[in-house]
This record gives sequence, C-alpha cells and structure tokens, in this order.
Amino acid sequence: MKNSSKKFNGFESLKSSDKESLELKSIKLPQNDDLIITEVPDSIIKTLESRIGHMCVKKDESDEVGPTCNMASVPGAVTQRSCVYGGARVVLMPITDAIHLVHGPIGCASCTWDIRGSRSSGEDLYKKGFSTNLQEKDIVFGGEKKLFDTIIELNGIYNPAAIFVYSTCVVGLIGDDLKSVCRETGKITKCRIIHVQSEGFRSFNKSLGHQLACDAMLDQLIGTGKPGLDEKSAVSTKKNIPTLNIVGEFNVAGDLWAIQPLIEKMDITVQSTITGDSCVEQIANAHRADLNIVQCQKSSNYLARQMEQKYSIPHLKVNFFGIEDTAKSLLLIADFFQDQHPEIREIVDKIIETEINKVRSEISHYKTRLTGKRVAVYVGGNKAWSLIRAFEELGMKVIMTGTQNGLPEDYRRIMGTVSEGTLVVDDANSMELAKLIKKYHPDLIVSGAKEKYMAHKLGIPFCDFNHDRISSFASFQGFINFAKEVDRAVSSPVWKLTSKYYQGIVKNE
Amino acid sequence: MNEYKSLPNEDSKCIDLTSCDSGSDTNCNGSFGEIYIPESKKHFAVINPSKMCQPMGAVQALLGIDGAMPLIHGSQGCSTYLRFQMCRHFREPVNISSTSMSESTVVYGGEENLLKALETIWREYKPKLIGVTSSCLTETIGDDMNLIIRKFRSEHSDEELPLIIPISTPSYSGSHVDGYDKTIKSLLENMALQNQANDKINIVPGNISPADVREIKEILELMECSSIILTDNSESLDAPHTGSVSFLPPAGTKINEIIDSANSKASISLCKHANSGAKFLEKRFDVKSISGPLPVGLKNTDKFISAICQIKNCELPEKLEKDRGRLIDTIIDAHPYNYQRKVAIYGDPDVVSGLAGFTAELGMMPAVVCTGAESIRFLDDMKEVAKESGSKPAVMQGCDLYDLQNYIKDNPVDLLIGNSYGARIANEENIPLFRVGFPIYDRMGAQRNPIVGYSAGIRLVDTLANMILEKYYDASGGEIE
Repeated sequence: MKNSSKKFNGFESLKSSDKESLELKSIKLPQNDDLIITEVPDSIIKTLESRIGHMCVKKDESDEVGPTCNMASVPGAVTQRSCVYGGARVVLMPITDAIHLVHGPIGCASCTWDIRGSRSSGEDLYKKGFSTNLQEKDIVFGGEKKLFDTIIELNGIYNPAAIFVYSTCVVGLIGDDLKSVCRETGKITKCRIIHVQSEGFRSFNKSLGHQLACDAMLDQLIGTGKPGLDEKSAVSTKKNIPTLNIVGEFNVAGDLWAIQPLIEKMDITVQSTITGDSCVEQIANAHRADLNIVQCQKSSNYLARQMEQKYSIPHLKVNFFGIEDTAKSLLLIADFFQDQHPEIREIVDKIIETEINKVRSEISHYKTRLTGKRVAVYVGGNKAWSLIRAFEELGMKVIMTGTQNGLPEDYRRIMGTVSEGTLVVDDANSMELAKLIKKYHPDLIVSGAKEKYMAHKLGIPFCDFNHDRISSFASFQGFINFAKEVDRAVSSPVWKLTSKYYQGIVKNE
Repeated sequence: MNEYKSLPNEDSKCIDLTSCDSGSDTNCNGSFGEIYIPESKKHFAVINPSKMCQPMGAVQALLGIDGAMPLIHGSQGCSTYLRFQMCRHFREPVNISSTSMSESTVVYGGEENLLKALETIWREYKPKLIGVTSSCLTETIGDDMNLIIRKFRSEHSDEELPLIIPISTPSYSGSHVDGYDKTIKSLLENMALQNQANDKINIVPGNISPADVREIKEILELMECSSIILTDNSESLDAPHTGSVSFLPPAGTKINEIIDSANSKASISLCKHANSGAKFLEKRFDVKSISGPLPVGLKNTDKFISAICQIKNCELPEKLEKDRGRLIDTIIDAHPYNYQRKVAIYGDPDVVSGLAGFTAELGMMPAVVCTGAESIRFLDDMKEVAKESGSKPAVMQGCDLYDLQNYIKDNPVDLLIGNSYGARIANEENIPLFRVGFPIYDRMGAQRNPIVGYSAGIRLVDTLANMILEKYYDASGGEIE
C-alpha cells in the first residue's frame, strides 16, 4: 500500500488551472532490457515500398514522430479497415431505445446488426437489424419513397424514442435526400428521426464516421431535451450535486457498469452516457452536465470539444483500463470539482486505497505467470495506447502497437506512451501482420476478431479486446477480469501442442 | 441392392430429381401437397434480415478454389464486414481484398483503383486466380470491369498473369444465394474447355458447410467416383493447425479441374439455387445437369446416391448401405419423441427445404419455413415436401426473422432450426434452437458438423431427439405436458 500511495503523491500538486489541458501522463515502470527489441532494422519487414513509412521503432525518449498515417490503403491489400458507415454505426449503435435503420441494400445491415457487444440494462431495440433493403428499381427511381414508408411503418410497430437513419454508399450515389425525408417523417410521427450522412466511401478512414455520428448527436439530439422531463438534472441542480457525462464509453461487455458506480460513489450524478447503455432522452439532456469525461478519445474527443464550444462544458480525458490509469482518472475528476466539492477528493482517496489493495492481491498469482511476456497490440481505437500501461501493470511488455486508422495526434499519443524499442505500425494488412508476428514472436496478440484466427494458426495466444469480448475490462474489478482473460489466453496448456510448429513459416513470402 | 437402385425413381431420364414422384408412402390425411403462405404484418421494412448480399456468396464460392484471392471492387467496409462474419463463423483466418474505393475514386471512376488492386494482389499475394466481384457502389457508377481487366491484361501482356474472373454481384438484387450461383457460372463461362472426356462427375455444393463438402467427398470416394467439386471449401474454411498461415486457400478446387469440368459425365448441383453453372455446362457442352435436392436425410440422400449410381452404373457400396440402415434404425429409435413435433426452419432455401423433408421423415411437422431469399423454386420445393409428408407448412420466402417470430407467436412450435440470429427468438419464445446454416457464432463446430449424407443424418437425428428429450421430458423420463 505504501508503494501505491507514494505513486499518487504527484497528483496532489495538480492545479485546477491545469484542468483544460489535463492529460494522463505515463508513469515509467522499471524496464527490462532483455525485452526490448534492440536491433532497429532498416526495413522492418519486406513489404510494398509505399508501406515502409507506415512502420517505425521508437528510438529514444525524444522520438515523437510516429509512422506515416492517415493515408488511403493500397488498393488490393487485405486492409483491416472498415467504412465510414461502420465508423458511424459503432458510435451510435449502443443507444438502446432507438431504431438503427440502414438505408441501403440488405448487405450493409445484415453484416452489421447485433455485432457489437454493447450491453443494455433495459431496452433491446438497438439489437435488432433494420434495413430498407433497396432493390434495383429503388436505385433507378430513387429510394426516398421507400425510406419514407419504412420510417412510418417502423414507428408504427415500435414507437421508438428515435430512429437513426444511416446513409450507405449507393444512397450517396443516387442522391436520396435523407435530411428532408427525416424532417417530413419527424413531423408526421412526432418521433426524433435523425439522419446520419455516413456513405461508406466518403473516406478511407472510418474516423470520419465517428465524427459524422457525433455531428448527428450534436446537431439533432443533444440540447433538445425538455428540462421538465429530466429528473436527474432537476434533482442535481436542487441539491447542488455535481453532474458529468461519460463520453466515448460503449459498454462493451458491461464496461460502463464498472465505471458508473465509482462515479456515483463520489456523489457525482451521471447525467448521461454517450453512448453505452444510453437512452435517447438522456443524451438529449447531456448539455446540462458540468463536465464531460472522455474514455474513447479516438471516437469521441470531437464530441467533447464541440460540446465545450457550444455549451461551455469542459472535458477531461480519462482512461479506465488499468489500475493506475483508473486511479488517476478518478483523481482528475475529484480535482476538477475540488473548489466546490472538496469532499470528493476524500472519497476518491478511500476508493483508491481499498480497491488498489484488493486488485493487487487478486492479480498477484496471474502476475507471476505473466511477468516477462511480450505483447503485440493491433486495434482500431484508443486501445493502442490505453492498454500499454495496463499490460505493464501485469509485468508484461508491449513490443508492438498499432491501429488501423490512427491520425497523427493518435500516434503522438502512442509514441509518448510506449517505451523505447517498441514497434509502431499503421494500417498493417494481414500479410504484414503475419510477417511481424513471425519476426517478433510475441507471447500474446491483442486485436479484433479478424486477426484472432491468424494468431491461433500461428500458434500464438490471442486476447480479444473488441466487439466479441465477454468480460468487462474497465475499472478496478475489470482489471482483475483482464488479468484473468490474459492469463487464460497465455497460460493455457494448448499452446504446448503447437510448440513443435512454433517456428511456423509464413507462406507466399 | 436392386431394390435400392430403384428407390428414388424409376424414370432414369429424369433430370430434376425432385420433380419425379418417388411414390410417397406416407399417405396423407388432409391437404395433399398444399402449402400455406402467411401474410407479413409489414410491407416495407426488413427487420432482422435472414439473407446477406451477393458478394458474401461470391466470396464463399471463390474461397473454395486453390490459390484464389477474392477482390471486392467497392468500399473497404464490404470486404471487412464479410471477413468479420466469415471469421467468426468458420473460426479461420479469411482474406478478402478490396479496391478501397473512396470519394474521389467514386467520382472519377474506379478504373485506377481496380488496376492498382490487381497489380498489388498479383505481386504481393501471387494468387492463381483473382475473382473480382462488383458491389452496389461500383455497379451504380458503371465501372466496366471486363474492360478494365482487359486493359490490365494488355498492360502486362508479356508477363504471366493469374486468371482474372469478373463477377457481377450488386447487393441490391438477389442475395448471397445468387452471389454464389453467379460466381460458379462466371468461373465456368470463363474457364471451362471441352476436349477429352473424363470419367468424372461435377459437384456444385452450393453455400454449405466445409464439413458437408468433406462428407460428400467421402461418399464419392466410397463409391469410387472421381469428381470435380465446384468449389471445394473443405480444406480452406476448415483447415488443420500446421503452425503456419496462408493468405490464399492452400487447397481446394484446382484451376485445371474447373477447366476440365466441361468434359465430365454429368454435373450434380446439390443446391437447386446453385445450378446455373451446371445448366451452362449442359447447354454449352452437353454435360448432363442434375439439380438437388440437398442430400439431407434419408430420401434426399437416396436421390443423390442413386443419381451417382445411375451415372456410374454402379451399386451402393456396403459401407453406405450399412450407414443407410443405421440411419433408419436411428429414426425408428427416436420416433416416439419426434412424432408430430412442430418445427420452424429458416435459412438458405435449399438447406431449409432439405431439412423440412428430413424432419417430416422423422415424423415431425415442418410447421413453418422461412427464407430471406426471394424464390419461386423454394415454394415448389416446399410443395413437394408437403406432398410427401402430408403436412401443410406455412412457407415464407423473401421474409425476415421478424416475420418468422410473429408467425411463431401465433402458431407455437416445439423446435427451431436455423442460424445463430434465431437465438433471440428461441430465448424469447422459449423454444430450443438447433443451429445450422450461416452464420453460427455463438456455438462451436459450425465448420465441422455435417448434415448431408447418411452418417451425418444419424448424428442429426440423435441431436434433435436429445434436444426434445432435454426440453420436453423430465429427469425421470416422463413427458412434460
């Protein structure tokens, strides 16, 4: 305990004037030199010339320049990237009491419904797959009429809190006017019909989809809640209870349910969650909160920044993955409310003390097995940097990290977090990933469903940190789950069965 | 043995096996060969779709070819989401490349991206064949894939290129079932060449599990029948662990086999909805075409095997005869539990009609069947099932799982058969679900558990009967009322 409380001394000096720029700074753990890739190869792996700049190794502490990024994928490569529609959908889909209607041919809906493991404590309307199922004649004569009829019909069947209407590639081409159909049907149904202009081809980077989803909420939802209907903010205002929104937390595997109780323990009301386990009316009242805390900074920083401009709600970047980052995040929040609610800090200190002791003792036996193992992370979002510290807490070392669609700011973040000798890759295609795995032999790969079986075929343990995840990894309790999952992947005896193949070859080199 | 040979039909000239009356021995009470078409409660929206788009079927067909790389000419999401669905179903790495169309390339046409993509795939992945499927996006902007591919060929006329096959698969028409069918047809149209007659039978499996293709291959081997499988996903989508990973199907139908398919004695399309390729071979090269039914259950498997016996002029091998006997034995063992159990079946049309016929054989009642694909042929097939079984199933084509659940709410069933998307219905309506079809992501073994043939039929009967025992009988063996 002494150890851990020492570590947090640094936070006591935080000033509230730093609030705006507060970012979680990394705590450097002792480094095991053996684990670092000492050799910095000229060309990391053999690949297309245009791809070479997309990989780099952090050379020293001052090395802030990440790999080349935010460029179109090479056509023909098996890219791990998705489309703009996919990006918009992942942000909005967790809104539980809304219909998510995909205006387009059937494939866009049938491949993407009910695929995100966002959990709900109430409604399950968001889990259904809705499509206008555009046919040839709709493409020729336009799909607006069908969209109109579909919205009216769906509203009649479900009487939902809102209908989000997503535009797809072909709808953008034929020029259906989503906005006016949504406006017209909104008048008729008295329901919020929200258009999302997410044509798949609009960008090679699905981050645009995240932004378009945020725009849809900002322009058509947030700020539209009627004050009388919002009990939460009425009570909070009356009793002078601080409120905040949890932004960029999608409740995958119930992550939110590990975070929200901590906030509530601090006597802070959670005004709304955007968008994990959320209701439409809740988000409509998000503008009444005192503070936004942003968990997934990849998808939702934009929303927080816009809300700051529009409603003067300040935001804090937080990270609830990992013990220390969770503790730091709670301290940041306490510090934000320090002036008006100094009592929060006391509660936070207590929470941290009890929880950290509990977690440290529960993970100790996992840690013995995991210490010294090397990890490769390749993911879509903010996990590329937010997981690094969490692995270090387990005694593991991240030797490679990367994202499918990172922006320069994301890579600066990554370069600031990783230790020297770490390989950082951008938009690696499946062949490059296999070559990297073969070259560096990590003991664990953390990625999404598409990479899972490639790792397994190469005989390398895999941990899903994406849609398919079934246990919550957030906050203190989540960290125990995380340690358990990582241990389950890494320490299973099944890998002994494959060991004779361990020097596996990558074909078609 | 002779008795067996004459089992399915006496008319050896018959082509479409199900169009022949096999002399149903189930004398029907009530309506004879009638089906009931319930009305959907909605007219516009699709809720919880029971079909996917054409590129999905196309890609699954292409991944059965040795060394083939599918390329989707469209947005990145098309290939990424298909990969996601296929990875979680097959539990295998799946590689599908994309031309990565974006705003500017959409405005000015996708030629540059497609040329670049072909070049990248050719140089990086070194495939033997590239199957280029279109998408709703590139069909609508009117990219002429044939022309662009010709241009690519002429640009590299002095080099050895992989075969490049264009396949038109806009997702706003048809479904994944058509995508598969069109792909097989395109492959044959572009590749099949007639020269020396071989002694083989072409088998077009359709969109079925790798386990089923493997089962079919084993049956053919037992019958000493050499074959060309169009296409064979049994290795690529259910691969053994070797410690290495391959970016192209490491096995499957060989290019030469596709070319040689014009010289075969006959083609059998296991799924009627996948018979365009075989029909093409028949029309063009006079290779006799036989379509379906999917060999699920006793009678359907009989039809398949007797078709081979007729073509090869051979007898049923002893092993299969015993399997067949064991299947009948299993059906008899399980009949008290199965009798008059109402089942709802949904999924691809041929799988659904095949299973409907099988459940009817078991004494169950196929009460409602549903497919997302729009198909008149499916209605005809179900009429046939109704005729043979004497039941009057509710038949839904071009419908979704919302329609199915609504029907089940008003007309309860005892058992649900279909893919993982029905798990919610099973849960809400408290009906056990037997998972079959695509996708299955919440249970193990989708790629390993066959349903075709006699021995797979045995396991199927046991599994279904056990599900019924589990659900409708108590621990002391008594039936729960």
